[in-house]
Amino acid sequence: MISDSITNASATAAPSARDFGKKKRTNRTAKLKQSKLGLRREQWLSQVAMVNKGGKEEMDANRKPGSEKSDQRDRPVVNLDGHQRGEEDDNNSGANRHESFMESLSNSPNSILSGMNSIPNFSSSSSSGSGGSCSGNITEEEDADDDGCLDDWEAIADALAADDEKHEKENPPEFSEEHEHENIQQSACESDVAVSRKQKSNQAWRPDDELRPQGLPNLGKQRSSPVMNFHYSSVAVPSSCPICYEDLDLTDSNFLPCPCGFRLCLFCHKTICDGDGRCPGCRKPYERNTVKVETSVQGGGLTIRLARSSSMFCRS
Amino acid sequence: MMTPGGSGRFRPLPTAMYAGYSGTASSWVAKTSVSASGKRIQREMAELNVDPPTDCSAGPKGDNLYHWIATIIGPLGTPYEGGIFFLDIIFPSDYPFKPPKVVFKTRIYHCNVDTAGNLSVEILRDSWSPALTITKVLQAMRSIFLKPEPYNPALPVITRLYLSDREKHDEVAKEWTLRFAK
Repeated sequence: MISDSITNASATAAPSARDFGKKKRTNRTAKLKQSKLGLRREQWLSQVAMVNKGGKEEMDANRKPGSEKSDQRDRPVVNLDGHQRGEEDDNNSGANRHESFMESLSNSPNSILSGMNSIPNFSSSSSSGSGGSCSGNITEEEDADDDGCLDDWEAIADALAADDEKHEKENPPEFSEEHEHENIQQSACESDVAVSRKQKSNQAWRPDDELRPQGLPNLGKQRSSPVMNFHYSSVAVPSSCPICYEDLDLTDSNFLPCPCGFRLCLFCHKTICDGDGRCPGCRKPYERNTVKVETSVQGGGLTIRLARSSSMFCRS
Repeated sequence: MMTPGGSGRFRPLPTAMYAGYSGTASSWVAKTSVSASGKRIQREMAELNVDPPTDCSAGPKGDNLYHWIATIIGPLGTPYEGGIFFLDIIFPSDYPFKPPKVVFKTRIYHCNVDTAGNLSVEILRDSWSPALTITKVLQAMRSIFLKPEPYNPALPVITRLYLSDREKHDEVAKEWTLRFAK
């Protein structure tokens, strides 16, 4: 198969990458954490190949061409290229491996949104973008000395292996399935694959997908944020009285004494009505005449409750 | 027998303590008794510090929250340009419902300011609204620098000159600014 040849090529790529890593070893203590991440990646790759025999070829093909390709170029380009590839790679595979949670985050909104046309586009782009940026950060750390620190950290790798196995055993089936036909494209044209992978990584889980993780955020949670924002923007009741700056309670919030829409608390309204009785918002007098109407009507036996509770306070 | 002696012995101590605390206690009480206006003024002070209007500044004169001092710098392009005008602002105890009393402490040749510094500005009288803040008052002060209100004069003499001979008016105003506000 084509992927076999790629795997062989990647085997030769390893030593040169190590040499490059040795040059960078002066500051390796600072990059201990990043090296660990890189190691995890390597470890995972080798172990997945063993654990998941069926998906082995796709695995290697998916992962190794990065190093293979970097080997064919000059040294300075190696790092850059590795970085780019790593970022693309990580969008689908890296996130899968290390951050199954992250992957579910980045993938889920699209799946939900693809089903829900009513939700605006921006939420999908933002959520997928955040997922992408997260995975991007991971790769940047990894690629700094991904290959180079392999020999140094082999011992630690063994210690980490136990921890890694947990993640690996969860992920491989969906991983291999997901990228199976990508590898065919990849062998055809590298750059095209890079683009298609990016799209792949953001591709939504279909609701009927049997491999869809159980832990994906549910629809209601995704929907809630835009709806809530809309709700808040539509309600324009001030939180505090503009006159005395005391918080408006529920009664005050429902109190609309003037048609101009100026809201204030009941205390301030009473004080104003005891004085000149003009609305602070429009300077027009509060409607005192409605009170007279009320009393006369009550005399006639009809009870008409005024819509504006302000009348109660204007009586005096 | 016992109680008078006991009280006699202990009485001086509480009274002394009370006397010692009376000063602070009274000032504290004075502030809380008008807390509605006090809170409002404090809030306005905070807002003014965050977003002061152009060419204006204001703040309490001393530790009395109800007595402020404000400065307005004469806006460019007016005869008051470059002058610094001090104003006293005195808040009534029922402040937001009654307008603050604003008085020019710096002499100014302006048709809306009389010789004692009192202002004939509608928003400080009949057009006052509790929704207005000291920031808006200061903005109104600045706007009468830019555009006097000749139809609501404090000094009709100046108004007459302003309407009949604007150049002469501006000249005198500039001279007054130079003499009193710099």
